[in-house]
Amino acid sequence: MNILGIDIGGTFTDLVAWDAERRVFSHAKKLTSYSDFFQSARDCFQAAGLVLAEASAVRHGTTQVINAFIQRSGAKVALLTTQGFRDVLEIGRANRPIAFQLRYERQPPLVDRPLRFEVAERMDAHGSIVTPLDMDQLDAIIDHIATLDVEGVAVSFLNSYRNPVHEEQAAARLRERLPHIFVTSGCELTREWFEYERTSTAVANAYVGPLMGAYLDHFDQGLRGDGFAGTFALMASNGGVLTPAMGRAQPLALVESGPIGGCIAASAYAAALDLDDVIAFDMGGTTAKCALVQRGKFEVQSTYYIGGYEHGFPVRMPILDIVEVGAGGGSIAGVDELGRMTVGPKSAGSEPGPAAFGRGGQNPTVTDANLLLGRIGEGAFLGGAFRLDKEASRRAMVEKVMRPLGLAEADVERAASGVLQLASTVMSGAIKEITGDRGHDARKFVLFAFGGGGPLHAADLARDLHIPLAIIPPEPGNFSALGMLLAQPRVDRAQSFFHDLDAVAMSSAESLLAQLERDACSALQADHPDKPFHVRRYLDLRYRGQKHPLQVELDGRPDAARVRGAFESAYRDRFGHADDLHPVEIVGVRIVATVDAPMGDLLAAARPTASEPPVSVPRDVWFDRHGWLKTSVYRRETLPVGFGRNGPAILEEYGATTVIGPRDRFVIGALGEIRIHCGGATQ
Amino acid sequence: MRTDMPESAGLDPITAEVIRQRLIAIPNIVDRNITRTAFSPVVAEYKDYAVGIVDVDGNLVSQCKGGITIFVANALGTAVRDGVSIYGLDRIRPGDVLITNHAGTMGQHLNNVVMYTPVYVPEAPETPVAFMAVVMHWVDVGGAIVGSAVSNTTTEIWQEGLQLRSVKLHDQGRPIEEMYRVIEYNTRFPRMVLGDLNAQLAGCLQGRDMLAQVYADYGIAALREAIALLWNQSEAATRRAIRSIANGTYRAASFLDDDGIRKGQRIPIDISVRVEDERITIDFSNIAPQMQGPLNAGRNGGAVAAARVACKYLLTPDEPANEGAFRPIEIEIPDGKFLSASADAAMGGSGSMLPTVIDTIFAAIASAAPDRVAAAHHGTYGIHMLFGRDPQTGELFKQSDTATGGWGANCDRDGAGPYRSLVHSDTHSVPVEMQEAMNPFRIDSVTLRTDSGGPGAYRGGPGIEKFYTPLTPMRINVSFERTQCAPWGLQGGRPGQVGWVEIHRDGQIIGPLAKATEEIRLGDRIRVLTGGGGGYGPPEERDPVRVERDVKFGYVSPAQAREVYGVVLDADGRVSMTETQALRTRRSSGRTASE
Repeated sequence: MNILGIDIGGTFTDLVAWDAERRVFSHAKKLTSYSDFFQSARDCFQAAGLVLAEASAVRHGTTQVINAFIQRSGAKVALLTTQGFRDVLEIGRANRPIAFQLRYERQPPLVDRPLRFEVAERMDAHGSIVTPLDMDQLDAIIDHIATLDVEGVAVSFLNSYRNPVHEEQAAARLRERLPHIFVTSGCELTREWFEYERTSTAVANAYVGPLMGAYLDHFDQGLRGDGFAGTFALMASNGGVLTPAMGRAQPLALVESGPIGGCIAASAYAAALDLDDVIAFDMGGTTAKCALVQRGKFEVQSTYYIGGYEHGFPVRMPILDIVEVGAGGGSIAGVDELGRMTVGPKSAGSEPGPAAFGRGGQNPTVTDANLLLGRIGEGAFLGGAFRLDKEASRRAMVEKVMRPLGLAEADVERAASGVLQLASTVMSGAIKEITGDRGHDARKFVLFAFGGGGPLHAADLARDLHIPLAIIPPEPGNFSALGMLLAQPRVDRAQSFFHDLDAVAMSSAESLLAQLERDACSALQADHPDKPFHVRRYLDLRYRGQKHPLQVELDGRPDAARVRGAFESAYRDRFGHADDLHPVEIVGVRIVATVDAPMGDLLAAARPTASEPPVSVPRDVWFDRHGWLKTSVYRRETLPVGFGRNGPAILEEYGATTVIGPRDRFVIGALGEIRIHCGGATQ
Repeated sequence: MRTDMPESAGLDPITAEVIRQRLIAIPNIVDRNITRTAFSPVVAEYKDYAVGIVDVDGNLVSQCKGGITIFVANALGTAVRDGVSIYGLDRIRPGDVLITNHAGTMGQHLNNVVMYTPVYVPEAPETPVAFMAVVMHWVDVGGAIVGSAVSNTTTEIWQEGLQLRSVKLHDQGRPIEEMYRVIEYNTRFPRMVLGDLNAQLAGCLQGRDMLAQVYADYGIAALREAIALLWNQSEAATRRAIRSIANGTYRAASFLDDDGIRKGQRIPIDISVRVEDERITIDFSNIAPQMQGPLNAGRNGGAVAAARVACKYLLTPDEPANEGAFRPIEIEIPDGKFLSASADAAMGGSGSMLPTVIDTIFAAIASAAPDRVAAAHHGTYGIHMLFGRDPQTGELFKQSDTATGGWGANCDRDGAGPYRSLVHSDTHSVPVEMQEAMNPFRIDSVTLRTDSGGPGAYRGGPGIEKFYTPLTPMRINVSFERTQCAPWGLQGGRPGQVGWVEIHRDGQIIGPLAKATEEIRLGDRIRVLTGGGGGYGPPEERDPVRVERDVKFGYVSPAQAREVYGVVLDADGRVSMTETQALRTRRSSGRTASE
């Protein structure tokens, strides 16, 4: 029986399939079809020679949800709020993240004011009813909504995080009376306080609900129509998988459905290779993304901004903590009006693409710089199926970078290596943010690089960040799909709860945790009977008055003093100081429940098997501070486990090229991974 | 050679750019860590602090993006210059940490405390190469009233709290415990202030170490060149922007309501802006003298801050803030004005009149740079603080909030908001759910105010209306400005509505309140109104379809649509084009006839 991981991205659709009997992986990569997404998947199945009737499971990740937000192509949504609070969505938090712009503006709310309705009801801050929900008024509003061609309704009431009964009643009434409309409530998605963030979350979920319902129906039917009889599951942004039913109810959980796959695969490799802390680094055509995986776990963030912090809007869902920057292979290099060199965030995309693609791209990109320096071979792209035009890269570089900077034409290497350095600065900035900003020392991590561009830049980045070891897994171009295949069911539950940290608080927290645990386990049990669960329990703690809590995992049933000790030591680790007198308060409880379904030693099967002896074909490659060096170029699949060489070297494979610097050394590891031991710092 | 393309002498442009990016990144990283570790909402939520790198002469190298815009001006550099002038570089040593809030040099209210530490590199171990500095609003530094800087009635600086003029907090890495004791016993909230101070200190030290690493990576000479280049680039950007404005002297006037002591006596603001090729001069010579009440600021916190913040908005909003960006800006002001007050003046409200001053600078330059300015915004801090003792817990509570109001329209778009004032930035309002969980009151509604945005071809942004119900007797402290000088429109645009506070009691209305402290009884309701932004261009020229949408959205009432915009809507709320045209024609001919 086969398990399939299918990752539908903006440009490519990737497939990784695991044949459990023959113990082999197969892969496919096809262009994504926007007119019929299932067809992209089907193309991959066919290319890999798979018969869906023989598959036991399909795991699927998609960029549908995030694209619907970026393109503003979601549903027409109405919002129902507490009397007096329909403008919460529009006023937000009244902040301007960019200081000096008289024209600063947020993206407009997803629901226009005439579609925001108020109903009489009120809960106080302790969860007691001040004003009962006015059902007659609600019915009148529902009658009106029914006439408005609305496709989704979000319900969000003030203080519902303390007592959601009114929200539940209103949502039930809406579902009963408007059975064809997608209905969601804030508390179904998050039980944390802050009315704007919760309302924004409910609205965002309703915005993508109808679209994802249709998408999942189509995909599911496509699979069944092709004879598939196994389980179909979706990749959630918290690293777990969801049933299609859960995906329909909480489509917002799929917002970072794509990138999370890479983290799961990185986490699986880290476990198999006995690495504690890795940075999962994914560089594609337009952006680079990074996330941390520590002892098999990745952090989820409690507030995620769709469209970015500066202009976007918050959602509160357990979403992988990821930092994304606008540096990818297609990022355009240029010179600004003050004579400063720039790289990205604008990207040439796949159309017209880098100048070297010869499809009309006039701007030099990171890919062009790599080509000009010999780091990418002219015939190495996608196994030689696509020849790159170095002369076009040179013309673009001269025209758009060197002339404006006043560099002589002979200096093309200097300009190209400048482009790579600047791209590196942006990418290492992202890695510093995900490590240093969160209190971690990047040097203690292993850099795990994948995606089309990750292997090209991994060694440079690692050296820049003083990271001693970088690892390139097998099939780096299909890595996210592999992660989807490996993902396990997971449910996160969190609830706001406020109390100074003491014995009373601990006992209340225990009972809340137990309730969340029952809730999460019953959700998992329904879909995965007879499977063992693993539950992790956390408290959100902070010094009284602070804004940001720190999560502390509970080990057993600790008392308040031990919890305080754990908090202080976590705080000290992260911020370098702690206060042993200031009161500590609990602000939330959360649990993560996962189904244990070990994938065994499956990664060993992903190891490429060397069928021919390694042959090195030398070519000239430019390295900073060394100039042009005669460099060995290997086909990656010819390198056996244990094969090692000092740099410089280039390792080429179908979907990626790995660059090893002159002072680095690489060796092929036990799972076929390339291990790059980086020599020295940049300066 | 073109003057707007600065060249570096020896350093290659690529390395220079890499260094520049790293220098810009450091304050932003420190900034985020301070938000996460601060103890008081005023730092963590309100973000009343700023982080920057300053050279040994007090010149600003780079500063964090968010935070409060006034600090961009020169708070950090001013502090460092004061410390260096007192100690000399030779008596400042590795591991030293200094603090200052001296009104005479900083010219701001005493809550704003700058902390700075020298950065050394092995290449030159004897002399610092730069300073890492963090300015932060401490929640209380003593003085006449809880919170120190919120009184409406102080008349001299000594009523407003503790002054520390460039004193060492750490000596060569060793905390000076006496200084910590001085601080602890001169604030009403010692744990909160010391908690924030720790976040401030950790930020200084983290930034110092990151900066030292950049110096170690590239060397002092390369850094010096890269910094000179980044200043020159920012200066060139400012000059280029000034060049786009026609030469001339431009003038505008406005006023503040009063100084809090002499009620109703207006404080005139009259500002000239001179543009000469690539130089801009902000002349404050004709503004009102120093006041008795606390709406004063010293030269650095007042005139210089206002001029620099205004110019940053006008000229190079997207460029990073640094010394070079401000070089082409000249400031003229004699001593003894309310923006150049003497060291003994009350300065509790040192920032709260700046929004009006900056709006006035925009008004002056509006005709010469219409695409760069906006009509006036709501223009006040609009502090409304509810405080008292919670009968349930027996503990003191204090919930301070500031006004969120409309911003002015630009020449080609409606005003935005509601936001806080333009000297705020990434300042978050405190969620209603958080306020209700921590205080004995309920907030009954927070609503956009219909008709509050100034009418115009482009409409001003709306203000808001808020109602509170107290659950116990308490007090309210109100500190509003701009209740008399409405946020004006430009080029025929009309003013936005003003904001105020009122108390509803037994069918009576107490107010409007602007600068006041009042008792609140059970059964009262408090109504807070914030102003809207001014409009741009005549309202009769607004696209009727946009007016239709405004009415549908409830931003504009049908009455205002007809009376001010001259737009006629049918029973379904759809614009009637023929009637609208007829009405607008009648009006404009009526006006012509009467002229």
